[in-house]
Amino acid sequence: MKKKLLSIALSMAMVISLTACGSAQEAAPAPAETAAAETTVAAEEPAAEETVAAEPEEDITLTMAWWGSQTRHDRTIEVIEMYEKEHPNVHIEYEYYSFDDYFTKLKTLVASDQVWDVFQLGGNFPQYMDKICFLNEFMASGIVDTTNISDANLKITQDTEGNQIGLSNGLNTYGIAYDPAMFEEAGAKLPADNWTWDDYYEAAETIHEKLGIYGSSAFGSSDFIAGCSTYVAEHGTVGQYSFFNIDLSGMGFDDAQMLTPYIQMRADMIKSGSYPDAGAEAEITDIENDFLVTGEAAMTWVAVNQFPTIYDDCQADGRTLALAPIPKVTADGPDGAVIQSSQMLCVSQDSQHKEAAAAFISWFQNSTDCNNVLQGERGIPVNSEVRAALSATATPGQQIMYDYVDKVSGFKMPDKYNVLSPDGQDQVVDNYRNYIQQVAFGEISAEEAADKTYADATAIFN
Amino acid sequence: MEQKRSVRTGNRLYKFINNENTVGNVFAFPFIFGFICFSLIPMLTSFRYAFTDYSLGTKTAEFAGLKNFIMLLQDEVFLKSLRVTLRYVLISVPMKLIFALLVAFLLTRKSKMVTLYRSLYYIPSLVGGSVAVALVWKQLFARKGLINMILQAQGLKGVNWFGDQKLALLPLILMSVWQFGSSMIIFAAGLKEIPAVYYEAAQIDGANGFQRFFKITLPCLSPIILYNLVMQTISAFMAFTQAFIITEGGPNNSTMLYALYVYNQAFKYNNMGYACAMSWFMLLVMGAITLIIFKTSKFWVFNESDQ
Amino acid sequence: MSEKRVIRKVIYHIFVLAFGFVMIYPVLWMISGSFKDNSEILRGTLALIPETLKATNYSTGWKGFGGTTFATFFKNSFIVTIIATFGTVLSSLLVSYALSRIQFKGRKFWFTCMIATMMLPGQVIMIPQYLIYYRLGLVPGYVPLILPYFCGQAFFIYQMMQFMKGIPRELDEAATIDGCSKYSIFTHIIIPLMKPSIVTTVIIQFYWKWDDYMGPLLYLSRPQSYTVSIAIKLFADASSITDYGAMFAMSTLSLIPVFLIFLFFNRYLVDGIRNTGIKG
Repeated sequence: MKKKLLSIALSMAMVISLTACGSAQEAAPAPAETAAAETTVAAEEPAAEETVAAEPEEDITLTMAWWGSQTRHDRTIEVIEMYEKEHPNVHIEYEYYSFDDYFTKLKTLVASDQVWDVFQLGGNFPQYMDKICFLNEFMASGIVDTTNISDANLKITQDTEGNQIGLSNGLNTYGIAYDPAMFEEAGAKLPADNWTWDDYYEAAETIHEKLGIYGSSAFGSSDFIAGCSTYVAEHGTVGQYSFFNIDLSGMGFDDAQMLTPYIQMRADMIKSGSYPDAGAEAEITDIENDFLVTGEAAMTWVAVNQFPTIYDDCQADGRTLALAPIPKVTADGPDGAVIQSSQMLCVSQDSQHKEAAAAFISWFQNSTDCNNVLQGERGIPVNSEVRAALSATATPGQQIMYDYVDKVSGFKMPDKYNVLSPDGQDQVVDNYRNYIQQVAFGEISAEEAADKTYADATAIFN
Repeated sequence: MEQKRSVRTGNRLYKFINNENTVGNVFAFPFIFGFICFSLIPMLTSFRYAFTDYSLGTKTAEFAGLKNFIMLLQDEVFLKSLRVTLRYVLISVPMKLIFALLVAFLLTRKSKMVTLYRSLYYIPSLVGGSVAVALVWKQLFARKGLINMILQAQGLKGVNWFGDQKLALLPLILMSVWQFGSSMIIFAAGLKEIPAVYYEAAQIDGANGFQRFFKITLPCLSPIILYNLVMQTISAFMAFTQAFIITEGGPNNSTMLYALYVYNQAFKYNNMGYACAMSWFMLLVMGAITLIIFKTSKFWVFNESDQ
Repeated sequence: MSEKRVIRKVIYHIFVLAFGFVMIYPVLWMISGSFKDNSEILRGTLALIPETLKATNYSTGWKGFGGTTFATFFKNSFIVTIIATFGTVLSSLLVSYALSRIQFKGRKFWFTCMIATMMLPGQVIMIPQYLIYYRLGLVPGYVPLILPYFCGQAFFIYQMMQFMKGIPRELDEAATIDGCSKYSIFTHIIIPLMKPSIVTTVIIQFYWKWDDYMGPLLYLSRPQSYTVSIAIKLFADASSITDYGAMFAMSTLSLIPVFLIFLFFNRYLVDGIRNTGIKG
């Protein structure tokens, strides 16, 4: 009897999970056709916003979600209300969460094919690829207006085949924020635009010896993304190497030992005390209590959209921060830094109103009124006009950020490059950070750490 | 079933309703219903995933046989997390229970202050998962935190708690012990149930406080002790929040509790199938440990209602 | 003699109080943090007295997000928590009676199932469970947050079973001889004697449900329906700036209901101790 019950239950479970697979495949293609049909109508008029407003359309309810903090929630809601006023037939139901919660929720919605019409994604989007509706057709039809968005800025949210995954909410890139006064006090050489990792190491060690503080602070996974993986790209000629290859199907370099000097340097710095060990790193909970801000370090990694905040914090203590590029392997070698997207807004495959969703996204990135409310809180706007409007009122910290991004944009870039990361990178990063600690603890050598990191990364593609 | 037809239907109905099987199923119905509808299928689904390469976000899961389980046994991080978790359970559970029992026992005195005291001691359990308290805890054990300040005042050297592989688990254990409130409350309720006559009789026989505690309190409380032991062991295996918020598993995975690793695999690294395999493997481990506790409980649990 | 007793009493109270202070220090720190400036919190000073008293944390926090205030979040939390706690007590009592007092077929089997449900991490069954409620058309809504609590909670079923073990069987037997059915034994004998167990269940379940945020996160979608537990997390964001002051302020407020519930029910665990015990 018990067995029978169990087998019934088992088969029930199978049926349910089977239908889950079935319904997903059926549901996907249907709405795409309607979208295609509507685009022909929309294409007749170039200005997307007017099209939507002029047609006496049925009422549309869009769902939208994002992650962030109270400031972002408040500003985004204000903008949504503004949009609803301009488009009386569109009603937007919004949800907002903290970062971890957002992705937990998103995963359940993916499982039940209910992803919000408009949703926010960051660099971890590859795993949601099935749920993203590309914007290309809406760009072709003019619903998504890209007149003031440069090709370079569009490219940061395209996949390797050139499909437009979404529109970026803001440009971002990594840099090293530092306190020049501390460098001078310790007699360390100030960072130049073409400074090398050797210079970086020297400076950090000197500062640690002279001032007894950390040469550089740590900030989570940046050491891999902005450090170790950038380090690979700085070898050879421009575009010769990259950590992962261009189409994210394998590695972009062959010799695992290429990583060794970097890993050795990092472990040496932890051992000597010029870089925080895991215990000290755990005390950094927020960019605002980073050791650079608290005066316990002379440098730190930053994603540049965080720079204005720490600049202001330090200014309040009478210190003035500056921003330097990521160090290079050789002073005349390739630059590692590239412009990336902080996050983007995407249209969901599950959406019943893809066109309206795309129109909203276009407005969100292109409307000056909208961005005057948002105030670049998600990153530097991709629309040149919007950015010009915002930089007119920029604070000194923001101005340094704008100048820095312009500088990085002017670096010599490879003809083809990819700023995206493959699904599975998180595990590589976490393991990498552990290997560094193991090297610092003397458990393994830097060579072994390099081999293991390479093996972990290769395992993604198996 | 074989009853004679001549029995009056009313009587039969009465017998049916009062039959042990009927009564049992009627009272257990809420659980049986809930279990079949809301627990069984998810459990079986996760069991099935354990044999696939399923990841959240994709719709297809390919059968992978025992691959996940074989990978488990070769996964350095998992093997380490297994050791860390066992250490965590073995230290935190006894400490927490002894502490909860002592405090509950000390606070049974009939006095107005007792209510206040018990409230004081229960407060930590009310803030358990909050981000704010995890932050405080982190700062207590920071390099320049209160604990190190106290150590230094005693002439000792400060300790880099979260940077030392051997020590990093300790603050997490202490935090779990600190939240002994729910065990304490259950002990307190259990103490209240011990018949006063036992103590009166012991007093007449001239038993002192220690004898009363070991001869009366402990045996009478043993079913509750068993309960708390089983529950705290299971929940210690499931401990997640502290490690997630305070250490993220570091340094060098020395605080990588098993539940945190499951979370990382399922949600961060996107290997749901692997996470399910790990969960079922650990279910067997936990099941074995629980079974041992149940089997040995015959020797020390005193049951008033069994015969 | 009596002097010695007084001294012992004083030592007892001093010890218990001092230790109690150490115990709640982190909580006091959180409360004092709710009056501190963000930068002061982040600097991590361990002092309990704020350098500058900042009461605005409460007003900025209470304001909530985009027009939905904490009044709404508190209301939602109360509804969900009270109903779920009631459901837990009711259903767990029923089930524990069956599992501990009735010799029916499958008793051991169901008990094993119950223990097993606690051994799988929530992370791996969360999504399959979500899909069930979704297919039943119950998402988004409060039903998935409440319904399972009417199906018994393993933690409390087992707790009640252990307490029932403390109730002598002779009572049941005597009642059976007096003509009581299993049903009336439950209502007339077991329930009245289960008071301490019920009280602990209420205290613990109320707090757990109040604090639970995974459930509300998965099953609610409109901000107007959020509970306090999710709302507090909305202050924190890894990628931008967190208003810790406001978060601590709302965490402090959210502590009040659970603490009041505890205070109210706690007296049932203290008053008349050792007098109400069943004479064995």
